[in-house]
Amino acid sequence: MKDSLILGGRAAREALRTPDSLFPSVFIPLFFLVVNVGQTARIFPTDSTDFLRGQSYAAFQLPSSLLLSASFGAAALYLVEEIEGGYFDKLRATPIPRMAIIGGRLWAELIKTAVLAAVMVAVSLPFGIRIESGVLGFLLLIVMVAMWGVVFAGFMQLIAIKTRSAAATQGASLVFFPLLFLTPNFVPRNLLTRPMEIAATLNPVTYIMEAVRTLVLDGFEWTALGRGFLVIAVTGAIMLALSVRLVNNYD
Amino acid sequence: MSSMYAVEAIDVHKRFTGKDGEVDAVRGVSLGIERGEVFGFLGPNGAGKSTTVRMLTTLMTITAGRALVGGLDVAGDPHGVRRRIGVALQEAGLDPRQTGRELLVLQGRLFGLSKTDAAARAADLLDLVEMVDAADRRIGGYSGGMKRRLDLASALVHQPDVLFLDAPTTGLDPASRLTVWDEVRRINERGTTVFLTTQYLEEADQLCGRLAIIDGGRIVREGSPSALKSELRARLALDADPTLDEVFMDATGRNRARVAGDVQEV
Ligand SMILES: Nc1ncnc2c1ncn2[C@@H]1O[C@H](COP(=O)(O)OP(=O)(O)OP(=O)(O)O)[C@@H](O)[C@H]1O
Ligand SMILES: [Mg+2]
Repeated sequence: MKDSLILGGRAAREALRTPDSLFPSVFIPLFFLVVNVGQTARIFPTDSTDFLRGQSYAAFQLPSSLLLSASFGAAALYLVEEIEGGYFDKLRATPIPRMAIIGGRLWAELIKTAVLAAVMVAVSLPFGIRIESGVLGFLLLIVMVAMWGVVFAGFMQLIAIKTRSAAATQGASLVFFPLLFLTPNFVPRNLLTRPMEIAATLNPVTYIMEAVRTLVLDGFEWTALGRGFLVIAVTGAIMLALSVRLVNNYD
Repeated sequence: MSSMYAVEAIDVHKRFTGKDGEVDAVRGVSLGIERGEVFGFLGPNGAGKSTTVRMLTTLMTITAGRALVGGLDVAGDPHGVRRRIGVALQEAGLDPRQTGRELLVLQGRLFGLSKTDAAARAADLLDLVEMVDAADRRIGGYSGGMKRRLDLASALVHQPDVLFLDAPTTGLDPASRLTVWDEVRRINERGTTVFLTTQYLEEADQLCGRLAIIDGGRIVREGSPSALKSELRARLALDADPTLDEVFMDATGRNRARVAGDVQEV
């Protein structure tokens, strides 16, 4: 634990030293937010559509943008660079649990995603988006998005360790990306076409998106929140278990 | 169970299984390195030197056989082994985004030093490898030789009992090479056992009390440089002692004619 925190500090320093790697995580999701809302806001005017709960369509879209931002983490790319460059071996030759090498990057990812999510929410407040659940809900929202960022980054790191190739790792993130869009991204689940509804229902990301969305639009909806955290807990546990196995058997 | 050797390998094998078949990189290496020795590990490219080092330093599983370092079983107690050894691998793997000082402090912290102790140790080591001026610059901007020296320093952070150096002077200018030689001698005088691989026979001659030559994954010669030379002299009935180069050529079946032939084929 202590070792993973020491390595977490180093990973955070690394992120701060490559600010250009943080830029897309904020810019691209905000870009999509502006474009999506700009193109569809007239179909979904605030008062005519009750799933907006009296807010603008931007408030409905904000959770997708936050999750998109959380899925941009460069942790796995740094890791694969470290594997190719040999520093990973140097760390493996120190008497720390090997999982700490993975864990360190996950800590940094947690902090980074939390800060970026807070920035994005702060940027969107002046545009009339309200967090219906208040300050406490805002904090819960940040925690949830950051934890998803960790789970996603963890799966990417698994691919990095398995393939040891930057190209494969980059490619894999494109494979995972559709998960973000097979969700009730533009309308609530019950308004999706049947095939999309099925896909969204099977997609774990849906439940995180819905949980974040209730915090923005409804306040504390414990069923949705419970599902969201359950998904994070289960996928997180799978990710950690696979990571421990993979990194301990790394040869 | 405890071994009287600092490093002991007993019939160690390594087989790589990949997409394009199997490679038997190490085929039954046995070694016994006494405490306090500087032991040289020589061999042509692809002979299995790095693979052996990676097995002895817990970075790679041993396919068959057994290895003990500092009396501890490499497979059975890898953490114990890691605490006792310092490792500088052939590719000086360093983090380009940290400064040299940060890297050494981090290394110290991972070996359990407190923040202050790690900082003091880093300062000492930077002095030792003559890197004080560049200490607070990012490693990404270091030259190859600076990286090697920093890598050597990072292997010494926790004052290891056994130091593994895989090709420590490859790519160094002549002056830096001499610095590293001095350093290795000084480290050894303080009681650290050194296991080093090298391509440079002169280096082995200068530094190593004993050496082994590996070829095709098997040890083909072992002994002190002078003993190996005398043996060849006696065998070929030469007038004077041969050089270590000649011992190497003889041991690995590479004579000048054949080397020239190999070059032509390329
Ligand atoms: N990860 C690996 N997978 C497959 N084969 C490998 C791997 N690492 C090394 N080998 C093979 O094992 C053999 C020994 O390689 P090794 O790196 O140990 O040689 P070396 O003696 O260190 O050579 P050099 O002097 O060039 O550093 C080579 O044939 C090499 O191709
Ligand atoms: Mg090698």
